[in-house]
Amino acid sequence: MLVLPLAIAWFAAVGLIPLHGRVRGVGWLAVACLSATLALTVWLAAVVLGEGPVEMVAGNWPAGVGITLRADALGVTFAVLSLIVLLAALTYEVLAGVRSPTFPALVLFMATGLTGLFLTADVFNFYVFFEISMISAYVLTSYGGRARQIRAASIFAVVNLLGSVLFLIGIAALYHLTGTLDMATIAARGDNIEQNPSILSAAIIFVAFGVKLGLFPFHFWLPPVYTGTRPAVAAILSGALANIGSYGLLRFGANLLPRELELGGTALLLLGTASIVYGALQAISRHAPTEVLAYSSIGQVGYIMIALAVGGRVGYGAAILFAVVNSLNKTLLFLSAGLQGWLVGAVFVVGAFSVAGVPPSAGFFGKLALFQAAIAGESALLITLIFLGGALSFVYMFQVYQRAFWEDTEPETPSPLANRSLVFVLAGLVVGLGAWPEPLLALSRRAAGVLAGGAP
Amino acid sequence: MILILSLAVAVLFGSGAYLMLKRDLIRVVVGMVMISNAANLFIMSAGLTRGRAPIHPYPETATVSDPLVQAMTLTAIVISFGISALVLGLVYLVYISHLSLDLEDISDAEELEEAQLERERSPEPEREMV
Repeated sequence: MLVLPLAIAWFAAVGLIPLHGRVRGVGWLAVACLSATLALTVWLAAVVLGEGPVEMVAGNWPAGVGITLRADALGVTFAVLSLIVLLAALTYEVLAGVRSPTFPALVLFMATGLTGLFLTADVFNFYVFFEISMISAYVLTSYGGRARQIRAASIFAVVNLLGSVLFLIGIAALYHLTGTLDMATIAARGDNIEQNPSILSAAIIFVAFGVKLGLFPFHFWLPPVYTGTRPAVAAILSGALANIGSYGLLRFGANLLPRELELGGTALLLLGTASIVYGALQAISRHAPTEVLAYSSIGQVGYIMIALAVGGRVGYGAAILFAVVNSLNKTLLFLSAGLQGWLVGAVFVVGAFSVAGVPPSAGFFGKLALFQAAIAGESALLITLIFLGGALSFVYMFQVYQRAFWEDTEPETPSPLANRSLVFVLAGLVVGLGAWPEPLLALSRRAAGVLAGGAP
Repeated sequence: MILILSLAVAVLFGSGAYLMLKRDLIRVVVGMVMISNAANLFIMSAGLTRGRAPIHPYPETATVSDPLVQAMTLTAIVISFGISALVLGLVYLVYISHLSLDLEDISDAEELEEAQLERERSPEPEREMV
């Protein structure tokens, strides 16, 4: 059951390579395969939430020898989320007309990598799936083939390769310290290992995920890449690929190395604060919508850091909830920023309000969870910071909206109606999750329960 | 042995990092390859034990060297090989579109393009001044 979504995405990707992706039918075939993967993952999620974690060892090896795949509430949450984002971006691009023959296959490869990474219980296997999704991301960034996209791809590849190598070194160090690659065993042995080397390897892993997320001191690659790529690719990068960073920090920090995470709490708080302030101030001073969104991504990551630093059930729950809401918001905004015509303004405003945390949208509950975490952390400073960040994000999102949709520009050719309807559906999802947040809240609570070590 | 290995890892990583800071893209790629090789060596040294080769029929009492790190290194080598090919392809694309591999030229081209975009975006900058 666990292998099924992985297998479908993988075989579909391999099968799609020789086919010419610009043919409409091939694109729709890819959409169908990705939908099947998503449906199976949702089914898996239902089973996991109903009956507890599902586990299997690859190749019928005895447990402890073979590579384990394991689906728990945290993993399936992120898997479903990433697949939704990928499906939206792929459908968007197929509707608008695919520009490169390999695009559908690459998106499916990334779906394989992401699903595998969220459902594995083996750190080295995590790295392998991580590289599968990163390699398809490198190629996807150059999608479009203009000089701008190629420049973005080269920056992205060089910086993130360095991040991947650091992650590999971190894994090797963890293996050396604990003598195992199995996540559960590492977590169990984590308390017995010597503190200094474990802090070092935790720091290396943190830097690796920080690079993926675009956290403040490692953010420099992010704006040129997000503004340079095509809207669908920017949505994939910010909505699906950035999940690797948040999931990785939650899994490796909160689950495998909780002691080190606690020790580094102050550093996380400082970096998170710096990220929020820097991202918001830069976003206010920018003009182009994609640029504002790119800097806003840097800022939003800071909230996840702060929630992680607060820790505990409330903090982790807030981090998960915020990560989910944030990636939906960013997908919606990046996709709609590339469109013109009526409906788009309304869709953009939904995304903008969601980023700012205005009530009818899902973003409100993300912010609410953060406030709860800050109150649990008993720090007036944190509450002020989150409030200030929210106010600043309201200012820059509204500025963009005003510039992009209120000014009387010459009547431009409206984008295809199908694309506009797609982003409209996405906006409906964001509003719907805000209007009926109970499932999302329950999901994040369950996922946080996995990390906090309590009963699910 | 441990000292030699760690020195080798350090030298490889250091030279790789130095090369990555260069302006020439080819050097950046070479630096990247060196850093990933440093990582491979580091994985090997993470499970460095003396013993027989871990091939299945071996006497019960024999100590074998850790096979897991070798498997991991092999996987990492394959991945880094694929990535080097991919990045070289990217560098070739950069060369085709910019006719240069100097990062300074490339960032100049970027600035030029951005200024052009800015001009297209705001055709009447005077209006804001009033």
